[in-house]
Amino acid sequence: MAASSASAGDSPPPSSPDAAQNNLQHFFILHKASEKSTSSGKPRKRLDLCPTKLKEGDEGCLRMEAFQLVWSGIESSIKDVLRNMNAHVFNQIHSWVCDSFGAIKPIAPFSSPLGPFPIVTHATCCAQLFTALLLTKNMESVDDFSTFQELGLCLKSHGCHVASLSSLDFSPKNGIAGSLSSLLRQFFIRSFDAADMSILASWYSQHGNYGSPVVVIIDDMERCSIPVLSDFILMLSEWVVKIPVILIMGVATTLDAPSNILPSNVLKKLCPCKFTLGSPAERMDAVVEAALVRQCSSFAVGHKVAIFLRNYFLNQDGTLTSFLRALKIACVQHFSSEPLRLILGGLLVKEDTKGSQNEKVIKCASQVLCHGRDQMAEQTDINIAHGLTELKRLQMLWSTVVLCLYEAGKCDKVQLLDLFCEALDPDVYNSFASDNDNRTGLGKKFVTSLSNDHCMLEQHLSSRKGRLICQVVCKVRDLPAALLCQLLKSWEVLTVNVLEIHDMIKELQSLLKFEEGSCKPDLTDISKYFMMPIECMHLHEIFCFRNVEKLQSVSIAMAALINIPIAATCYL
Amino acid sequence: MGKEESPKTTRRTTRSSALATPSKNVVEETKASSSHPPTLSDLVLGEKGESFSADDLLSSFPGRRNQILELLRLLGPQNSPMFPVFVYGGTSTGKTSIVVETFRHLKRPLVYSSCLTCYNPRILFESVLNQLFLHRKNAANGYSSAKRCESPSDFVNFLRDALVSILVNTKGNSGKVTSKRSGKSNGNMIYLVFDNLERLRGWDKGSTILPLLFNLYDILKMPEVGLIFISSASPDTYYSNMGYVEPIPLYLPDYTQDDLQKIFMRNQANKKLYSSFLSVVLRPFCRITRRVDELSSAFSPLFTKYCEPITDLNVVPNKETNQRLYNFFRPHIAPALNETFKVSSQQSPEVEVKERKGKGGTKKSRDFEVEELDFHMPTSAKYLLIAAFLASRNPATLDSSLFDSTGGSNNRKRKRKLSDKSMEQKETAEQELLLNPGSFPMERLLAIFQCITSVGEGPLDEEEQEDGGLGIQDVNGGLMSDVLLQLSSLCSANFIVTGGSCPLEGSTRYRSTVSEDMALKVARSIKFPLSNWDNTIEHKFQTVSWCQVSAGLPSNNCSKPPIRVTS
Repeated sequence: MAASSASAGDSPPPSSPDAAQNNLQHFFILHKASEKSTSSGKPRKRLDLCPTKLKEGDEGCLRMEAFQLVWSGIESSIKDVLRNMNAHVFNQIHSWVCDSFGAIKPIAPFSSPLGPFPIVTHATCCAQLFTALLLTKNMESVDDFSTFQELGLCLKSHGCHVASLSSLDFSPKNGIAGSLSSLLRQFFIRSFDAADMSILASWYSQHGNYGSPVVVIIDDMERCSIPVLSDFILMLSEWVVKIPVILIMGVATTLDAPSNILPSNVLKKLCPCKFTLGSPAERMDAVVEAALVRQCSSFAVGHKVAIFLRNYFLNQDGTLTSFLRALKIACVQHFSSEPLRLILGGLLVKEDTKGSQNEKVIKCASQVLCHGRDQMAEQTDINIAHGLTELKRLQMLWSTVVLCLYEAGKCDKVQLLDLFCEALDPDVYNSFASDNDNRTGLGKKFVTSLSNDHCMLEQHLSSRKGRLICQVVCKVRDLPAALLCQLLKSWEVLTVNVLEIHDMIKELQSLLKFEEGSCKPDLTDISKYFMMPIECMHLHEIFCFRNVEKLQSVSIAMAALINIPIAATCYL
Repeated sequence: MGKEESPKTTRRTTRSSALATPSKNVVEETKASSSHPPTLSDLVLGEKGESFSADDLLSSFPGRRNQILELLRLLGPQNSPMFPVFVYGGTSTGKTSIVVETFRHLKRPLVYSSCLTCYNPRILFESVLNQLFLHRKNAANGYSSAKRCESPSDFVNFLRDALVSILVNTKGNSGKVTSKRSGKSNGNMIYLVFDNLERLRGWDKGSTILPLLFNLYDILKMPEVGLIFISSASPDTYYSNMGYVEPIPLYLPDYTQDDLQKIFMRNQANKKLYSSFLSVVLRPFCRITRRVDELSSAFSPLFTKYCEPITDLNVVPNKETNQRLYNFFRPHIAPALNETFKVSSQQSPEVEVKERKGKGGTKKSRDFEVEELDFHMPTSAKYLLIAAFLASRNPATLDSSLFDSTGGSNNRKRKRKLSDKSMEQKETAEQELLLNPGSFPMERLLAIFQCITSVGEGPLDEEEQEDGGLGIQDVNGGLMSDVLLQLSSLCSANFIVTGGSCPLEGSTRYRSTVSEDMALKVARSIKFPLSNWDNTIEHKFQTVSWCQVSAGLPSNNCSKPPIRVTS
């Protein structure tokens, strides 16, 4: 079994072709530019998968199911987080659209649908196009495809006519005809051989479409061919008296970009308003918090894997899409390489604690466990079960402390991703732990820590390991009483499920009240006792994926596969 | 003046005839199932029954009296044939508005097409024909045009058909009307207006369509058709003795400052206040631009700023308040002069307060914060951007000549052989530099990229080592294909532009478009000492050779080329 699982580890989990397809679907929804390469990669994958599947169908299915169960949990929580992040901006944009429409409406009377041309009868008003510049704050626009899709859906649900165009619609090859026909295609399903704004105008006046704004969303303004985009804007602004078009353009870099690339006569037609999406770093933090820290799912990554993910994000790609892709690859590899028995056992424990039980998995797990019982002593099983519960407890403690530290570091702009990587480092933990080996007992620590001198901390600061955590801890120590109170309050909320830390926070709060702000808490103990990285825990292999080399090679291959066509264009 | 009077007297009759001649005319032309069948009167601008006198017309265009009178003279009285007219002038001088409003005043049928919206011959032709056939696009006819018309000859034929049928109808009709009334209708003339004619020159088939349009008068030989061309380019740029009647030019000069004063004073609620505002802003702004659209978009936010100290907007300002307002307002003028594109933001007040708080809270690091890069960019892209910036800034000729002087230090045969090649390259580089300043081939970019990443490794190393040593080395060694990806995304973000590819070699040349500020920001964000490298960069590239560069291309990305950097 071990041998077979090892062989399966080289490839993504054996699965039915459909499932594999679902699996890959995710990639090319997010990675628009990679459509071709992923689709060409698909059949190859399928070929790889088939033999393993035939050999050990049942086990493969179980692995797949386990993977899907865990990954769908992670994925949905990530989606929720991102949606919540965007919701605020979307609402802002919607209210702005309503305001702008109110401002245009008086110019566009319903009368005279025949006049095929929008002739401005009031010489004074020069038609301007209300334009939202949505700063995506990321040079790569891959992450934002889904964001813009959601924005379109959101506006549609509020009754706007929405057309989403991308830079592909503004290519110099097809010119303005291409962009107009794809604009029309969004409203008319069929395509026209001579795309013309007058078609849209008569559509708008005839179908009872009158009365709601027409929103045109352009994903990535900077990637469009500028002459085509300029013509498009000029044309829309000429017609704005007949069709109340409101433009939303995604700007990847800076706010200067439109004025740098568009000619001034086009800029004059725009009446811009700025909106900002969450920055990639913010989004990354939110995703890390939801998927890796808070969720304590049956999947975690080791220190080196975390470092790899972080560096790849910061140095190479910088998109959430590739981060999630790498994470998914890690997840796939984990579930295909670990012994099935342990995985399912782990799932069982998780399900128990969650309360909501997935019957199928439990059934499978118990089957497998029963099957294994012949070979293994029952005692081991009990040990494992106990170990898993303990593991779960420690993980919970760890994640709570990390979140507390993040909360404390927020005002210093400490990024959760960095903190997360550091908190996973077994060396940091060991160095913390070894410093205070002689001291034991939880009750003692606050008393000692209050009188503790700073030398230990400084020592940590001087060593590069664990710098960030020490920095945060120092910061908390030096916080003025009022802010400390605030912080403790937010910690109280964060730790509400973890009694051990919660009690300590309470204790601290009472101390603070008693000493009227003169107290200086020391958090090294918290981090020391509770921040045990997953790799230091017993049985961590069940949840934790550590094989960074494998991940690296797979994701590089993956990236290369996707990037070959793009890179090739550089040579052309 | 007399000519301008005549339409005024006929206005009443034209309107009534427009009302009196519906439905029978050309209903059969359209099968549109809409509320009311379109008639020729739909080609007449303005609301029915609306009165728009010549005085109204003249007063709505301050400073354009002579031009409007000239246009009216050229159009002539009712039913009089006219030569084609060519209206031209700078942007935002009122060309289209004046023509359109004049027709609104004259109540004569007008077929208007803009070559901006009609972006190819077919759409232009069909747009004109649709209007003449009184055709309405709708769901019932599948949003199709009245006639499918792509070639100029088809256009002329259809145009003639349409005009003849309309003229027959109107003549027949006007005959009836004449019998009843005093004999004047809104005329037999139909006017075709072609706006934005300068766009035509950019079309693929512009060279054939332009003569066609200018020749239309001769081709049709119908005195009932009036042609008006509107263009922002002067007539000299269009015709060159092609054998057709040259249109009569009508030039609209730029507005003077007095004209602008009058234009902006129209429709102001509080004229006194606004004139005091104009007295402050108009002069400095007129030195920069006299375009009404530019000025009006600049003035509207400024006026709100100007009015800020006043609570009651209807107040009649006296000298004292003017002075007070001026003192308050003065600092805002100069920045506004340089502003071309002002983006407002629509943040909720809470967020703004938060931001302000955040700024106040972190006063110490403020200087640093202001110059931070406000969007995300992977580190390798940052290095690449800096490399591109340096490659554009520093002359390539210096690079290669310096290489020649020290290239022999590394005495390998292969290298020397290739350095001959680099001599050739030097020559072509010199040549290309003249053709396309600041551009560089990708090889050079990658060389500089490798050079600066190996320098950047120093300070970054510590951090990266701490994180397990998977840091910037990857940028160098692991993923050269990713560097190309970064290059392509930098290109699409318009930080690097491609262009000026050599037709013989077929290699693309790149050029950095990043401003110095931006480059400095990027350099600061990765703690790269850009100032050391700028301009003096050539001294640091002494050991970078072209052969190493070509060896360091993605084909063998594993081995790190032996680039030594002297600092």
